[in-house]
Amino acid sequence: MSNMETLLQEFAVVAASPKAQLKKYKEQGKKVIGVLPYYAPEELVYAAGMVPMGIWGTNNKTISKAKEYCATFYCTIAQLALEMLLDGTMDDLDGIITPTICDTLRPMSQNFRVSMGDKMPVIFLAHPQNRFADWGIKFTMDQYHDVKKQLEKIASKAITPEDLKEAIKVYNRSRRARRAFTKLANEHCDVITPTKRMQVLKAAWFMLKDEYTEKLEELNAELAKLPVCDWKGTKVVTSGIICDNPQLLAIFEENNIAIADDDVAHESRAFRVDAPETDDPMHDLAEQFKNLDYDVLLYDPASAENRRGEFVADLVKKSGAQGLVLFMQQFCDPEEMEYPYLKKALDAADIPHVKLGIDQQMRDFGQVKTSLQAFADVLSLRA
Amino acid sequence: MADVFTLGIDIGSTASKAVILKNGEEIIGKSLLDVGTGTSGPERVIRQIFEDTGMTKEQMALIMGTGYGRNSIEIADQNMSELSCHARGAYFLLPSVHTVIDIGGQDVKVIQIDNGAMVNFQMNDKCAAGTGRFLDVMARVLEVEVSELGDLAAQSTKRVGISSTCTVFAESEVISQLAHGTKKSDIINGVHHSVAARVTGLAHRVGIRDDVMMTGGVAQNKGVVSALEEELGHIVHTTPLTQYVGALGAALFAYQKALVKAKQ
Repeated sequence: MSNMETLLQEFAVVAASPKAQLKKYKEQGKKVIGVLPYYAPEELVYAAGMVPMGIWGTNNKTISKAKEYCATFYCTIAQLALEMLLDGTMDDLDGIITPTICDTLRPMSQNFRVSMGDKMPVIFLAHPQNRFADWGIKFTMDQYHDVKKQLEKIASKAITPEDLKEAIKVYNRSRRARRAFTKLANEHCDVITPTKRMQVLKAAWFMLKDEYTEKLEELNAELAKLPVCDWKGTKVVTSGIICDNPQLLAIFEENNIAIADDDVAHESRAFRVDAPETDDPMHDLAEQFKNLDYDVLLYDPASAENRRGEFVADLVKKSGAQGLVLFMQQFCDPEEMEYPYLKKALDAADIPHVKLGIDQQMRDFGQVKTSLQAFADVLSLRA
Repeated sequence: MADVFTLGIDIGSTASKAVILKNGEEIIGKSLLDVGTGTSGPERVIRQIFEDTGMTKEQMALIMGTGYGRNSIEIADQNMSELSCHARGAYFLLPSVHTVIDIGGQDVKVIQIDNGAMVNFQMNDKCAAGTGRFLDVMARVLEVEVSELGDLAAQSTKRVGISSTCTVFAESEVISQLAHGTKKSDIINGVHHSVAARVTGLAHRVGIRDDVMMTGGVAQNKGVVSALEEELGHIVHTTPLTQYVGALGAALFAYQKALVKAKQ
């Protein structure tokens, strides 16, 4: 097995087994903090000497125990994240952070508190929508200070400014490496199939970032040695919250569809923006949140324009893709409500797209298969 | 030059269809069974078309599979999505077509065509409302055959409002209307408009351009076609070959690919 194959295999194993990763870190005597979507300042967890671990639901479970706490119309990501805590998969965590910028995760934070609060600390985090003005920055910092205090209690260790500066450095490097990887994955889409691309990016949520980045930089170096591939199939940009179902991604491969870039919350939206590196690290983290943009969940002061739609359309053009595949999570109000203006921007830019209704309990992919095969036909005819 | 025969097989969720085409122009055989993927339908429909035409698999230059069950047609050389095949088949039958609406057993598809090629499409969400299954459920509750729905709707004097959001809720509404003594024909008229409203919403996402053609088994229901014309505000063309359009498209693609193969 070549070094590249070994690295890809390692990422695949990690991506498929958060429970094993949790066990591994616990056996090393480390404390592990679960981090729910979106935009939790993982740097604080890292700075406290603990392991942040993303919890984005699972494709392998059926919602059962979480039903006691959740209404039917909650998205399956939120429900299955809770299921993983309730059914013992991830209940060995030392705490969880529940950000609340999403309309479902806001009330869900209380369901997590009620259901898991006796077992582990549940840290509430409210990002501000008005994040630009000084008072918005101050609000973010106040929230992060509160998260920091609770993490320090769990870690039994004070987080110094130096710890946090170092954590920001580690995370910025990791974000840079992931951005470099997505570019390389586009250039080498014959090697980095949609499934492998997902596995590499998903593994980031389950590994200490310094360990992860080291491996990813190694993989990037291996990829950079290869000649740019002459792809004969079609290329798309993916968009949505998460598209980590291997059965779904296999359909891309069956139809020779490569992923040129993504606008996925679980992937690129999570590492588009670095934090500044100054002498005030807490301010740097708030500044990073301020600088996030083009996200369905984030307030846009220029909402009368169609900035996000145009940004996504531009992403498709710049990446050399011929179209966009939108993974629409069932019951995700923000993404569903955004769709008409995203469609308008794509239509205006003459970019074909297909919207696939998905959820994490999906077991039959017949309709998706038909849609993707037909979409590949449309793209080939336009080529 | 010898004649080129191609076979298109469309295995849907509720029916199996096959068409044999001569030289990409002439339909020389067709067969249909009202059972789809996962049943004996696919095997039987293939056996039947060869028996009817007296032809054999070996005489086929290429066999193309399509439909929901396309991946499990062993005899097929290749397969294509039913959207591409419906577009191709509809264009063959009506060259002026720009919009195809196919209501299948569990899917609704609206396809935009330019110069005979599919350029855009929309499929329904993961929901039975607006599909053939919706009509099956309603027919069962109303204790009538699906094939009777069109004629019964023609007797309606007043349309009853039935929601287009959810099959389960719509079923409750139909039961409630029956309990109130509402005429079956009026309820069926409402059911057809419910389907039409759902499909129209989908069609608007693609954009509706004349000529509009409806394909698939549901197009045999005159009630749905006229409700659709009313909701869309466009004339909806149908064809006596409505159930064969997908298989026909597959046979046409098979011909095209067979020619390319022959040249190679």
